[in-house]
Amino acid sequence: MDTLLQLAIGNLLSPMVLFFALGVAAGWLRSDLAIPEAISKGLSLYLMLAIGFKGGVELASNGVAGTVAVALVLALALSFSLPVLAYALLRTGTRLDVPNAAAVAAHYGSVSIVTFVAATGFLGYRAIPYEGYVVAMLALMETPAIVTGLLLARRANPAGPTASRPTFLTKEVAREVFLSGGVVLLGGSFAIGWITGDKGMAVMAPAVVAPFKAVLAVFLLDMGLLVGRRLHDFRAVGWPVVAFGIYMPLIGGMIGLLAAYAIGLSLGGMTLVAVLAASASYIVVPAAMRVSLPQANPAIYVPLSLAITFPFNLIVGIPLYHAAAQWIAGM
Amino acid sequence: MVQLYRKKRIDIVVEAARARAIIEMIEAVGAKGYTIVPDVSGRGNRGVRDEAHLSDVFRNMLIIVITAEAIANRIVEQSQPLLENYAGIVVVSDVEVIRDEHF
Repeated sequence: MDTLLQLAIGNLLSPMVLFFALGVAAGWLRSDLAIPEAISKGLSLYLMLAIGFKGGVELASNGVAGTVAVALVLALALSFSLPVLAYALLRTGTRLDVPNAAAVAAHYGSVSIVTFVAATGFLGYRAIPYEGYVVAMLALMETPAIVTGLLLARRANPAGPTASRPTFLTKEVAREVFLSGGVVLLGGSFAIGWITGDKGMAVMAPAVVAPFKAVLAVFLLDMGLLVGRRLHDFRAVGWPVVAFGIYMPLIGGMIGLLAAYAIGLSLGGMTLVAVLAASASYIVVPAAMRVSLPQANPAIYVPLSLAITFPFNLIVGIPLYHAAAQWIAGM
Repeated sequence: MVQLYRKKRIDIVVEAARARAIIEMIEAVGAKGYTIVPDVSGRGNRGVRDEAHLSDVFRNMLIIVITAEAIANRIVEQSQPLLENYAGIVVVSDVEVIRDEHF
């Protein structure tokens, strides 16, 4: 069993995190280093395909047990309920108004797919297995938080003028959320992996297994560039909110870890569910909030989840949640 | 000398999240067409807007409509409520076009 320090240093010195750091430094210094948008979109599609497919194959080879259904319900429950906690913390600990607190809260109930993928890279680096259906939990956790966030904003302002009330899940938002490219590819690849099983894996392995960690490292370089450029936006956010971007993942991660332990997941599975509960969305939820809750300021919620919580989870959170999972598993 | 016709040109810079609503309005009030520049960047009262990566949240679009004055007035009027809470610039100018029947 590694100590927390060994895990942290091992994580820090992995190529994934070092490439991320390179990107942050280059972005912050306003270097003209840039990964062309089409390539970075391609890399992210590759990662969704690979992670979805591997999860599906895993599920096919281990079979569907009762635990799977319980895990999926847990995923929905976490995503629906975490924003309520986040909202309460924001309203008491920061000066954010109702729409901004509700919008930020929605981000923290939803998930960051890249953080999840990085966590699977972290586990893969250490040859620690995890349950394939955790990928399905990932897919399910993306959207319920949006509903909760909008309900929180609406409940606090029930009689307001129509223009300041959030338009609820309109067709436009639903399409944005359920048919976003990432969700479709992740879910579709998961289904294909599940249907084709080990035979399918034999076909896909050269593409989805061997290059996975290297592609992830390149993608994290691109993420680093985005984060580095956004680091200049901190002033708009304010320190109490920045602090929230760090303590909320710790609280969410702890809740996820305990819930995963309670339903009997493995060490790897516990780590990943903790990461899911700790991470915050910065792609799907911002797009949904911009359409449904336009009074909330994207210059608060995007830097908060992208430039604070994402790097925190990547560098500190993942090894920390894993160490905590080891500790709980060893009890 | 080619005959020129007086029209109004409306330039609308709007964040991508709101572009669909604006375009639907432009079609609804009877403009015969519009031109879109899908990705424009610059600085305004919401700070620097660029960063087309990841999501459309910080992306701006330019929509250009050339139309008769009556329709132009309706577009200007109806764009006001649509732009509440969103980044947006609406500019109207006098222009002259050839091919009157296209606008």
